Amino acid sequence: MEESFDCIIVGGGIAGLSAAMVLARNDAQFLLIERGEFSGSKNVSGGVLWGRDLARLVPEYWKDDTAAFERFITHRRLTLMDDESAFSLDYKSDAYAEPPYMGVSVLRSRFDRWLADQVESAIADSAHPYGSFLATNVRVDEVLQNDSGRATGIRAGDETFHADSVLIAEGVNNLLTRQVGLHDDYVPADHMMVGVKEVIGFEESTLEDRFQLNGDSGLTNEFVGAAATGGVEGGGFLYTNEDSVSIGLVLGMEDLREKGDPESESTPYDLLTEFKQHPVVRDMIQGGEVLEYSAHTVSNGDIDGMPREIYDDGLLVAGEAANLLLNAGRAIQGMDYAMRSGILAAETVLEAKEAGDFSADMLQNYRAALESSFVLKDMRRFQNAVHLLHREEMVDLLPTLVCDLGHKFFQVDGTPSKKVHKLFRESVNEHASYWELVKLGYNATRSL
Amino acid sequence: MSNATDDLPLAERLGLVSYRNEGRSDPEPHIEVDTDICNSTCPHKCTTYVCPADCYKIDENGEVYFQVEDCIECGTCLYACDQGAVSWEYPDPEGGRGVTWNYG
Repeated sequence: MEESFDCIIVGGGIAGLSAAMVLARNDAQFLLIERGEFSGSKNVSGGVLWGRDLARLVPEYWKDDTAAFERFITHRRLTLMDDESAFSLDYKSDAYAEPPYMGVSVLRSRFDRWLADQVESAIADSAHPYGSFLATNVRVDEVLQNDSGRATGIRAGDETFHADSVLIAEGVNNLLTRQVGLHDDYVPADHMMVGVKEVIGFEESTLEDRFQLNGDSGLTNEFVGAAATGGVEGGGFLYTNEDSVSIGLVLGMEDLREKGDPESESTPYDLLTEFKQHPVVRDMIQGGEVLEYSAHTVSNGDIDGMPREIYDDGLLVAGEAANLLLNAGRAIQGMDYAMRSGILAAETVLEAKEAGDFSADMLQNYRAALESSFVLKDMRRFQNAVHLLHREEMVDLLPTLVCDLGHKFFQVDGTPSKKVHKLFRESVNEHASYWELVKLGYNATRSL
Repeated sequence: MSNATDDLPLAERLGLVSYRNEGRSDPEPHIEVDTDICNSTCPHKCTTYVCPADCYKIDENGEVYFQVEDCIECGTCLYACDQGAVSWEYPDPEGGRGVTWNYG
């Protein structure tokens, strides 16, 4: 191939495909390179795709019978747990049942593949139906840069391809982002987590009955507490798919390294087994069949974990390659950040093409656009919440205290009952101090 | 059919995973581990208990060794090893191994 592209996109996940969709719709010429057999074949997520950008990229996707989302989310539950109990904050609303949905559960091997098909259709409908390509099964080995440091294309094995810009959307294990010098060669474990997950299959009717689902509606349930994670920083999740649930743990990697040792049974899969056997979780997945076990690293949402910069001369970085992710207690957001950053990166490429200028000066518009979008605004605004959630008290103290209070409050055993403030004082005296709670409460109100 | 609440051994969990070039007996490893570091100066040998696919094992002499076959490319060892023993790249689609998720 002799031609030069407006952009080479490295990675056919959500960030890369979202960028590709914007470029195709605006008649730009691009080459997207995916190392897997097909888009999604290398991707793992929890996962819920939050927000409404999908409806921007694929208008009225919910009317498409082939649309590969699993369920739209109307039911949210946050569960604090100790060894035998669970105390939940539960919210369900039909207001979320109307498109464009607030969030949809996805299985990436299906979802990304479908999204890639939508991009193919957009290319076919564009002014250059034979000028843009999605290539799979190709590993990009190197981003090519000229003597002045401008990115000029990529090398894959013996082949090179050239473009005015390179968009790195390679995912969290961002080897190329490191190679071009935007991120450290070694990224330490303290900003990283590892997710382990199983997809557990059910008869669709069993699933709908068990989780009180209506048509295509779905539930998300996050779990907090040492009883969920074996005391390791992090949490658990359960999301309903069409005829399965995604269940798993997200574990702080540094904590996992420090709390475990080669002799102990504290591996991520041991902890997942224990989580699944917790009495409250067990009753949710009883009778299902494990269809797949998977794992992937994920960033913990600490903004300090981001690359030094997300653009350079001829270069942009989007999605989790830029460590864009947030979990501030409300939802785990990563795929929506990938989608928005991919869209904004592509819009910057279009501006650059229009101006005939792909310099770093021009491409910094991408940084500016991301800063004024919800992505970096929320990441900056909720950093305190991110740090709070990773504190020891959130794993140990709070779930135990709340479950104990629940136990006392709901207990009816033929002895005279105490008033709530008295029960509360008892629980606090057993598990914590008022001072600790005041500090925690103060931090929580300020950070959320 | 197994019940989802059964204690499913890791080998059975990994048995559910689809790999590229599954038939190839000698896949090109995409991770290289300098186990001399693991077995001399490393204070924790953490890869042996943080790897979700148990690719890092300890033999009867207490020595760490690495085998790539079950690797699901999650990236954990890329960060968890702070001793500089792990060199990581993505598997070559032609000669390498690596995962193809059915659900993901």
